[in-house]
Amino acid sequence: MSTPSTSSRRSFLKVGALAAAPLAAAVPAIALAGQDHMARAQRLQDEAEIRALHQAWLRKTATGTDASALFVGPKAGRLDPAVGSVAADHAGEPDRIEVAADGQRANGRYASVVEIETELPRTTTLTQMAHAQGGGVVSHSERRLLKAEYVRTAGAWAIGALALERV
Amino acid sequence: MPGTPYPKQPMYRIDYTKLTPEQILARLGPAATKGPASASQMSDAFAGKSLKIVTDKGSVLSYRFKGPNKLTLSEDGGKPEDAGYGALTHDKLALFAHLIPGAQRGYAVVIDRKTNLATVFELWFSGYKDNREVQREIHQGYVEQAGTPSPSARHAATNRMEGHAYHWTQDTGIETLEFYPSAAYSHFVELTRQGGELGYCAPSDYIKVDDDFYIYTRTECEFSGTFTVYAIDLNRLQQIGLRLGFDARDQLDYSLFRGEADWLGQIAQFEKFGDVAGNVVPPPKDAKKGERRLYRPFLTMPKMTPAQVNEAVAKKTSVFPPPGAGPQMAGNALPSSDFLAGKTLTLRYDNGPVMDYRIGGPEDLEWRKDGGAWTKARYKAWEPAPGVINFGHLLEGEPDHDGHMIVADFDNGLVTCFRGHLNTPYFANEAGVKVMFGVIEAEGVATPGYERHGFTDELLGRALTWNYAPGLTSMHLYSTPHAMSWIIFTGDDAGGLEWSGPASYVKIRDQLYYMYWLEEACNGTLGTIVINLRTLHDSGIGYHCGNEGLSMSSVGAHMRHAGRFDIVKYSQLKTERTPA
Repeated sequence: MSTPSTSSRRSFLKVGALAAAPLAAAVPAIALAGQDHMARAQRLQDEAEIRALHQAWLRKTATGTDASALFVGPKAGRLDPAVGSVAADHAGEPDRIEVAADGQRANGRYASVVEIETELPRTTTLTQMAHAQGGGVVSHSERRLLKAEYVRTAGAWAIGALALERV
Repeated sequence: MPGTPYPKQPMYRIDYTKLTPEQILARLGPAATKGPASASQMSDAFAGKSLKIVTDKGSVLSYRFKGPNKLTLSEDGGKPEDAGYGALTHDKLALFAHLIPGAQRGYAVVIDRKTNLATVFELWFSGYKDNREVQREIHQGYVEQAGTPSPSARHAATNRMEGHAYHWTQDTGIETLEFYPSAAYSHFVELTRQGGELGYCAPSDYIKVDDDFYIYTRTECEFSGTFTVYAIDLNRLQQIGLRLGFDARDQLDYSLFRGEADWLGQIAQFEKFGDVAGNVVPPPKDAKKGERRLYRPFLTMPKMTPAQVNEAVAKKTSVFPPPGAGPQMAGNALPSSDFLAGKTLTLRYDNGPVMDYRIGGPEDLEWRKDGGAWTKARYKAWEPAPGVINFGHLLEGEPDHDGHMIVADFDNGLVTCFRGHLNTPYFANEAGVKVMFGVIEAEGVATPGYERHGFTDELLGRALTWNYAPGLTSMHLYSTPHAMSWIIFTGDDAGGLEWSGPASYVKIRDQLYYMYWLEEACNGTLGTIVINLRTLHDSGIGYHCGNEGLSMSSVGAHMRHAGRFDIVKYSQLKTERTPA
């Protein structure tokens, strides 16, 4: 089971209240309030860490620097090498981060604009010349939903897998 | 031309000697002591003076000019070396050049005597596997003036020369047409030394001194390796320059020259307005000194024997593969035409066979040559202008793996065929071509009598851009009646790498032409297109053989007029040419 949340504090409070409602009948009110605060604080902490992780990944992707340290391991799912850059789509749906009940896994959904780079095949003189001058790649932008899976390892969040979905 | 150091048949495969470093050093020795030759009176502007040139990369060149042709150079405070030199001046510019005795290197320096800014070309041989190819590293800097702060301005790489072209006449009498359709390459036609039949391309530097004066270089990579640098006065159309290299007889050409130009016009640039940046093709990451991105087609093309060609053709022959399966050259192709479907016709060539056709559907036909057996073939056709059909097919069973690429004008009963074939003398996979003119014999087609399509110079000097598919745009420059050059654009739409090959141009109707180009010593492809200057479109067929097999594929692109150079007067049209 995972608890959906969004990146806005207002949404988080609303979802938190709904999730807490079924427990209210069996647990004393003071204890309930304490647990709820702790859970919400942990969730906020997790979300903040995941958001920071995502921002770090975006920065490294944009600057072309090695992002492997942000992943859970070398076999973690990466994006297709044809994806040249990923940027937030501010005209899209708000970011969504969902932390699993066990607090060890999470996933994120980010409306994104991605630049897809397609390498021209080196089958003609013109495409060979394009590659020889350091080009030979055609770029275009698309709106995509970036789906991220996160895993807590050694007390810190890491990226488990990334995938892009057409919208 | 008697005595010419070039072959009688100009081609793109001049067999330059692979000179050794020792041979080069031996040839440079006397010249390093004596200095460059010049047909013009050299300048004594530097005689008796000392110059200290400080460059941005840290080198400091300290010169003492002991006379009009002797100098002493200390590099970075090192041991002074004596050398011969030569200098020319023009207006505020001065150019001097020298070699370093006992070494395979030297310098050419252009100084703006008004601003004291300097562009230094460090030159050396034996820096590439072909030792004769001159390497260059450009240093920007200034001449140090005692008691004066160092200037912050510099000469700088630019695209502002892109689109220019000139007819240069040097003080030696040598005439060339020089085109700068790229900001990284240039194209030149040697009218005097080669007769102006073919044009060649070379990587080039374009450096802005100010709005009136520029510096240009070219290195004849893949050919003699000769380096040329000159400063241009755009207002007066005059130049002062240096040539350094070895000609086809391996004689050292180390000379200063002056020249005067006729302005040939200017074609369009396609960078965004405001973009005047140079170095449009940046060097590779971690480039070594002097290294830049070059197109070396002769080095990289497959070179096959007749047996290998036969094997490759037998292994795979591809005729008009479906969209997406073939090359990217047909992304903007015209829709194919069924004009020929169901027709029976004869194409009777004056200088070729009689070809009978029984056309089935829009992609299948039967042909027979000179009354022989009927053979089935796949074809495709397009209608680039009403009643004008461009179609092509392979002739299976022909020993040279012929392909016919045809333009048939059914309104006028005329046909032109580019007969492509393999097994040419140098590399068997290189295409050769024969142009065949003739008539159409078919029901409802009037006989043209003695009229025929013919070669034309009407495209001469034109530059046309061709967008084949997203991200794949080139520009053609029709620079001689027998050659063309093509330019690839960079991501910022600056002219980038450039190459050239033999070509021919045939007039089909007013503003409608049929042309071919041969990628001779460059992949071996035969490209054929019908150019419709009114619809700004083409239709065409490529014929190519490589290790992957023989292919015939469609070509189609959106065209833009990029302008036209005024060069017709420099060419005498020869009406017959059938390259290998």
